[in-house]
Amino acid sequence: MSVRLSDHLLQFRLNQLHPLPKLIVCLIWLVAAIAVFDAHFQLVTIVLAAAALVLFNRSSFWLVLGLMVPFALFGVGFLTTSILFRDGSDFAVKMAAEAPFVSEGVSAGVVLFLRAIACGMVSALFTLTTDPGDLVKALMKDWRLSPRIGYALFSALNLVPDLASEAQQIRLARAMKRGGLPRRIPGLVEGFSLMLPLLTFAIRRASRAAIAMEARGLTGHGTRTILGAPVLAWRDLVFAGSALALLAAACTLAWMLR
Amino acid sequence: MPGALPAPDPDGVATWRGTTVRFPHQRRDAVGPVTLDLAAGEHLLLLGPSGVGKSTLLDTLTGLIPNVIPATVGGSVTALGIAADSRTPAGWAQHIARHFQDADQTLCGMRVDDEVAFALENQGLPAEAIHQRVATAMRDVGIDEAWRGRRTTTLSGGERQLVALAATLAQASRVLLVDEPTSHLAPLAASRLHQLLMTRAPGRSVLIVDHRLDGLIAAIDRVAVLGPDGSIMAEGPPAALFRTHAARIDAAGVWRPLASHLDTALATQGVAPPQPPVSVADVVTHLKALGDAEKALARQALMPLVAAALPRVPTPALAGREIVVRLSGADCAPFLGPVVLRNVDLAVARGEFLGILGANGAGKSTLGLSLAGLVRLKGGARDGAPGGVAFQNPENQFVTGSVREEIEAALAVRGTEASQPETADTVLAGWGLGHAASQHPFELSHGQKRRLALATLTAGGRWPLLVLDEPMAGLDAAATAALALRIEALAASGHAIALITHDMDLALRLCRRCVVVGEGAILADAPTAEVMADAALLARAGLAPPVFKPVLDWFGEAAA
Repeated sequence: MSVRLSDHLLQFRLNQLHPLPKLIVCLIWLVAAIAVFDAHFQLVTIVLAAAALVLFNRSSFWLVLGLMVPFALFGVGFLTTSILFRDGSDFAVKMAAEAPFVSEGVSAGVVLFLRAIACGMVSALFTLTTDPGDLVKALMKDWRLSPRIGYALFSALNLVPDLASEAQQIRLARAMKRGGLPRRIPGLVEGFSLMLPLLTFAIRRASRAAIAMEARGLTGHGTRTILGAPVLAWRDLVFAGSALALLAAACTLAWMLR
Repeated sequence: MPGALPAPDPDGVATWRGTTVRFPHQRRDAVGPVTLDLAAGEHLLLLGPSGVGKSTLLDTLTGLIPNVIPATVGGSVTALGIAADSRTPAGWAQHIARHFQDADQTLCGMRVDDEVAFALENQGLPAEAIHQRVATAMRDVGIDEAWRGRRTTTLSGGERQLVALAATLAQASRVLLVDEPTSHLAPLAASRLHQLLMTRAPGRSVLIVDHRLDGLIAAIDRVAVLGPDGSIMAEGPPAALFRTHAARIDAAGVWRPLASHLDTALATQGVAPPQPPVSVADVVTHLKALGDAEKALARQALMPLVAAALPRVPTPALAGREIVVRLSGADCAPFLGPVVLRNVDLAVARGEFLGILGANGAGKSTLGLSLAGLVRLKGGARDGAPGGVAFQNPENQFVTGSVREEIEAALAVRGTEASQPETADTVLAGWGLGHAASQHPFELSHGQKRRLALATLTAGGRWPLLVLDEPMAGLDAAATAALALRIEALAASGHAIALITHDMDLALRLCRRCVVVGEGAILADAPTAEVMADAALLARAGLAPPVFKPVLDWFGEAAA
């Protein structure tokens, strides 16, 4: 029995889950991360989200670490603000008063810093393990989302990879003109110079997608078949139950360590 | 009930009566006045030079213009008996399937199977029926089952075109509007698609716009040619129309099928077939039946066409040629992508014209980028100076706000001429872009964009190797002929040129040597004549012999 359970766990992938229970769990966890102003809780959230990505999405450890960088940079802003202007953040300082850090200001800053990463990682967990098409189909089928809004959302969700692909082409052409190979990751100047052509591309892409959908009969009314929409399964219940139990445990831990 | 329509009008599935279209803030009409009909069950081919308004005319039939794209439509347009603009494009989708010139306009960025099913889902068909139609359309078009879960944005240009066609055909509509469906397809795929589109279905009418006419004409009932002024300049059954109006069609820069060119040439010596030919096979059958004296006349008549079909650029002597670039045991991969070609050994010499041929998605563009040194090899080595690339989408190359600035930027790299405006003027005039100097590059026509891309590549004189990725795709006959001459001139001036193309006749005409890409490797690297004569190799690589080949074969036999 235990062998079979471990087999199931080994084969389990987060992208097999129905998007809607996963969305609800992630939203609840995000609300908790905002409400529970405790460094331990935020740390547990970060570790759990990272572990879930590594174990159940086969994401590389380094990729997960890399994902934290932009959120950490965002969080550093909170940290420095809290340290430099702690008089202006009474609520946070009060909430962090019993936190195990050097001073109240630093404690509050650290929690805010960790919270930025925790919220980012929970969002990344959902985004990286959810197919936009499946999400839109589930929203239309189970939550009666209008197809027009659903496919607009679908286009928006797909814009990021499409922009990345277009950016690659533009970077190749520019590297050729510059007389060298494109860097794997664009520098700051190159990044800014890509903004205008990518904005142009995004506008064109959106208008083309709208025309394509209209020309193929997408309307906001009438009966519409939805093929291949995700179906709820036992694993979704198990996932939601386990995640909420973990959330409760993390909250309890945070309360006990105060 | 919004989907219900009157019974089809027996006299016209679609009619345009004195139709004109004028876009906002424009001083002249984009098309028209046009008077044209499409009958029930008819296959109508619409021809015309680039930018004359063929796609615009198609857009009026589904209400896309003016209901989605604002424009003033004069005259009248009716579809299936009612005013076309009385419904939205979505309202017409059940009855009229539209395949856009750019596959990205037909596709919505979904997974392949979702794309093909999308219009059928919108119609509310039962799931089982949709599954069946999707499977049939994918099989007919030749889409690999393994593609089902791939997003269309990850496919090559030609592969996307196949998916767009499958999506259009799956709709099984009464009217099919197809705009340049084969411009990015390898020959075998293009041939299969022409057959699919032109298979008669009861009551189904097809209006097709295409430049690839050979293999298509036999299934066409009628041709309408839009002239440079935007109105119909000729109309009628294909074979007779091409014989009667050949000179006018050529003057307008419109494509004619090879059979028609052969017919015109044979007529100069009085040995044309009694009935205007529909295909090259018709012409060859006629030629084989000629007597000796007439054969001699036919050879004389066809000589200029044969000369034009073969390379004119002299090949530098083999010995002592300077190698511009060499790939040794190279594993080629697209930028930030996995290896698609392994163990490539390839060298290109100064002044050489190399053809790169292969099926859609075979890795031709990746090989081109690797030759130019624009992507890192995953294995092996590359020796030689960097090369310049004319990308499939020329817009990716433009970085400034005007045509003149693009040229000035290219000259500035060389470091001397940037401050001399007359130099940029000279370059612009040389490429026929002087009148567009102040325009934004994105405002140019497709052909002008291609010329500007080549002008920026050559103006700086930086690159001894130029990689041209499908440079003729979507161009009309006049623009193609003019661009071919310019490319030949570049080779003659000492540039090494690698031409990526699906047009086998273009490869035969321009390239002395070709490499065939397929199965993750180079399948052949040989003189073009040898490659074109190897039917097994071509079939294995998803290619087909040049349309002109049967004529060359007859020419050789007649000479013997």
